[in-house]
Amino acid sequence: MLNRREMLKRSTLLAAAPLVPGFVINTARAAEGQTETVLVILEMTGGNDGLNTVAPYKDDAYQKARKALRLDANNGVKFTDELVLNPGFRSLERMVQQGQVAVVQGVGYPNPDRSHFESMDRWQAGEPGPKVGGTGWLARSVPDLQKGADGGVPVMHIGSEKLPLACRGTTQGIFSINQQQPFELKLGTPNSGAEAARRRLIEDVAQSSPSAEANDLLPFVQKRQLQTYMSVDRLKEVLKENGNQPMNGQQANSLYMKMDLVTRLIQRGFGTRVFYLAIDGFDTHSGQAPAHQALLQQIGDACSNMFARLQQSGDDKRVLFMTYSEFGRRVQENASAGTDHGSAGNMLVVGPGARGGPVGKHPSLTDLNDGDLKHHTDFRQVYATLLDGWLKVDSKTVLNGKFEHVPLLKG
Amino acid sequence: MIRNVSRSLDQLDPSEEWAAWKPAKADPFDARWAGHLYRRAGFGHTPVELTAAVADGLDKTLERMHAPARTTPKLPAVPETMGPTFRNFELRAEWLKRMLAGHEPIRERLTLFWHNHFATSIARIQDATLMQRQNDLIRKHALGKFGPFLRDMSRDAAMLLWLDSNQNVKAHPNENYAREVMELFSLGVGNYKEKDIQEAARAFTGWHVSTPGDGERRFEFKKQEHDFGRKTVLGQTGEWDGDDIIRILLEQPACARFLVRKLYAFLFNEGATPPDKLIEPLAIELRASDYDIGKLVDRMLRSRHFFSEHAYRKNIKSPIEFCVGASRVFGTGATGSVVMSPFALIGALELQGQQPYQPPNVKGWEGGKAWLNTATVLARHNFTYDLCNGGKSLNEEVARVTGQGFVPFVDPLLLYRRARLETAGEVVAFYGNLLLPGDLNPEIARKLTAYIEKDDPPNALFEQRCRDAMHAMITLPEYQLN
Repeated sequence: MLNRREMLKRSTLLAAAPLVPGFVINTARAAEGQTETVLVILEMTGGNDGLNTVAPYKDDAYQKARKALRLDANNGVKFTDELVLNPGFRSLERMVQQGQVAVVQGVGYPNPDRSHFESMDRWQAGEPGPKVGGTGWLARSVPDLQKGADGGVPVMHIGSEKLPLACRGTTQGIFSINQQQPFELKLGTPNSGAEAARRRLIEDVAQSSPSAEANDLLPFVQKRQLQTYMSVDRLKEVLKENGNQPMNGQQANSLYMKMDLVTRLIQRGFGTRVFYLAIDGFDTHSGQAPAHQALLQQIGDACSNMFARLQQSGDDKRVLFMTYSEFGRRVQENASAGTDHGSAGNMLVVGPGARGGPVGKHPSLTDLNDGDLKHHTDFRQVYATLLDGWLKVDSKTVLNGKFEHVPLLKG
Repeated sequence: MIRNVSRSLDQLDPSEEWAAWKPAKADPFDARWAGHLYRRAGFGHTPVELTAAVADGLDKTLERMHAPARTTPKLPAVPETMGPTFRNFELRAEWLKRMLAGHEPIRERLTLFWHNHFATSIARIQDATLMQRQNDLIRKHALGKFGPFLRDMSRDAAMLLWLDSNQNVKAHPNENYAREVMELFSLGVGNYKEKDIQEAARAFTGWHVSTPGDGERRFEFKKQEHDFGRKTVLGQTGEWDGDDIIRILLEQPACARFLVRKLYAFLFNEGATPPDKLIEPLAIELRASDYDIGKLVDRMLRSRHFFSEHAYRKNIKSPIEFCVGASRVFGTGATGSVVMSPFALIGALELQGQQPYQPPNVKGWEGGKAWLNTATVLARHNFTYDLCNGGKSLNEEVARVTGQGFVPFVDPLLLYRRARLETAGEVVAFYGNLLLPGDLNPEIARKLTAYIEKDDPPNALFEQRCRDAMHAMITLPEYQLN
C-alpha cells in the first residue's frame, strides 16, 4: 500500500511527464462517428397539403373534392398504381423506382388542433395533448444520441430562425448554425495575427498537460478539447466550401444550400446524429398549385442531390431524410384554388434504409372528421420507429411510453 | 492506460480513510488543499478566501464555510416592464447570486446536490414561484435530517406536479411518485420489488396539489381520493399513508448506503465504485444519527480520504462549477467580494448544458464525461474569452435580459494592477496560484511567460497578453477538473 507521502506525491497533477500521449492526439484527429446513423429532419412549416403531395388520384372522392388542384397520372410522378407524387418531386423519381421513398400515410394525433402554433408545438414536443411541456423530443434524445456521437454535437439545427421547440429543453449538445452564426472559437478579430497566436497558445498548452499517469480524466478532457479545435476548423472549411459551391441557380439561404452543408458535415464525419431544418410557405390558402409545387421541388431537388452525393462518398446508407408538417389540409379545396387547415397528413422517409412505398393505408376521403382526414397512425409511432430502429435511442424515455412501430425501415 | 481506481480503493483501510485529517508541517493545509476544499465544498474560492484559508488552517476555514449569511443577496431592482418571462431569468439569477456571493458555501453546494437528487424542471412546472419555494425548502433541509426533508419534499407542490401526483387516486393509483421515491430518492434499483411500488402508490393516493385559482398551489390531502386500506411495503403491513412509507424506507439499510454513495460521487469521485467496506461505516453512522446529513458531510469533508488522491481533481467540472468558479476569481471588485452579475452566466450555462432549475429529467444531469462535447467545450472557451477580456459581451447579454447592464464591468486585470506585478513571470505565478493553486505545470508556466514577454510592460499590448495567458490557463485540461 502506498504511504501517505507517496499518495500525496501522486495526487498532484505535476508529478508526471509533461507530454500528451500520442494516442490522444490521434484519436482526436480521427473523424468521429463515421459509421453512426444520421437522421435529417425537415419541418414543412405552415401545414403541408398531404393530399396533393401524394395524391390518391384514382379515388373519385379526390377528383371531386379537388376540381382545381387535382393531380393525375399525366402530371404526377408515379408512386403506386393508386398514388402519384406531386410533379415537384420529379427529381425523386429514381429513388422512388429504387424503393427508397416511403410515405407514411394518415399520420396525426387525437383531437387535432388547427392552430399552426398549437399543433406545431405538439409535434415538436412529442406530446399530442394540449399544453405541452417546455422540452422537445429531439432534446430529450440527446443523452442517448450523445453516446454514439463520440464528442460530436449530437443534434444540429441549420437555419437562422430561432431554435425550434423540438431542440429546446436541453441545450447540451444542440447547436444552431448558419452563415451568420458560425461555430466559432472566440479569440479576437478573425484571421488576425493575434488570433492565430492565441490559437497556437491554447493548443500548445493543452497538449503540454500532464499525462494519464497523474489523473486518468485528463486524456479524456484533452481529447475533447483537441476535437473541438479540429471541429471548429473543419466546420470553417465546410462553410467556406458551401459558400463557394456553384449555386445551380439556388439562393444562398435556400434549402438546397442548407442540405449541401448537411451533406458536407456528414461526409466529413462531424459526428452529428440529427440535423434539423425548416422550410416555410406551406400555408397555401389560395393559388396553391404553383407555390406548393415550387416548394416541393426545392425539397425534392435538395434531397436527391444530397443522396446522390452521399452515395459517391459511401455515406448514403447511414442517412435517412424525414419530413413532417404541423397538420395536413382540408379534403375539400376552397374557392380560391387553395386549401384550409386540416388534420391528418403524411410523412416522407427517404433513403436506402427506408422501405419504399406507402406505409399504412390511405385514409378514407369519405369517412371524414369534420371535413378532415382521420388519422390512423400516431406521429409518436413514427418517432418511436426512427428512434429505436434507426438512431438506437430508447424511445420510451423520450416519448414517455411505448409506441407500436410502423414498417418504414428496411430489414 | 486507465488506472483501475476501484481496485486501489479496495486496498484501503476504511478506518484510516475516514479518520480526520490532521495537517502537519510536512503535509500542510496549503493553497492546493484549500483550493480543493473550496471547489468541492463550495463553488471555488475568491482570491481573498484562498489567502485567508491558507493563513487560518482547515478548522477555521470549515467554520467560515458554515457561517450563516448576514444578509441574503439581493438582486438589483429591474424595470417592471420586463414581463413574466423575465421571472424565469430572475429565478435563476437569484440562485446564481448566492453561489457567487459565497455565503454558507457548503449549504449552497448541498442545495445544488439535492436539486439534482430531487431533480424537478421548470420546463414542465412552468411556475417560478413553485420552483423558488422548492429551492427554499431544499436549502433549509440541505444539511439537516433526511427524514423530515423527504417528508416535506413529498408534499412539495412542484414535486407533486412533476410526478403526476394529482393523478394518484384511490380508483387508479399512479405509481410515478412511489417509483421515484424508491428508485431515485431513497433506495436505488434492486432494493424493492414492483409490488412494493404498487402498494406504496396506494399509500400516497390523495396527496395532491390544490388547483390554480385557489391562490398559490399547495399540498392538500384529498381524503376522498385516499386509499385507507391495508398495504404491504417492504415486508411491513398496515394501513399506511405516505409518511409511513417514508419511515419504512428510512428503516432500510439500503437507504443509508444509497445516500452515502451518492454523496461520495458528488464530493469525492463520480467515476469510482467504492467497495462496500468503505461505504458501510458511514452508512451505519448515518442511520445511527437519524440520518443527519450535516454530520455526514462534515465527517466526509474532514477525512483523510477527502484530502487524498482519491478525491483530488477526480470529477469534471459541471458548467455551474466552471462558470461560477471562474467568476469568483475574476468577477471580484475592489473590496474583494464578487461583483459579477449572475445574469451574465445564464446564457453561458445554457450553451454549456446546465441550466439551474432545468435538469433534463427526473434522474438529473448525467454529469461526468457527458458534460464535454465539441459544442460545450466551445461554449466554455468562449465564455472564458469574454470573462478575461473585460466581460463586455457578457454585459451586453445582461442588458439584453434585464434591460440594463451591470456596473462595474469585471476586469481580471484589476487583480494584477492591485498586486503591482512587474514581470511576466510574476504575472503567470500570481494567476497560476489563483486559478490552479499548486497545479500549474512548470512547462506550461514557462510557455505562458514566454508568450507574455513578447511585449514589455507596462502597456496595452503587454496587458492583452496577460489576458490571453489567463484565458489559456482556464482552457487547460487541468482546469476542467474539479
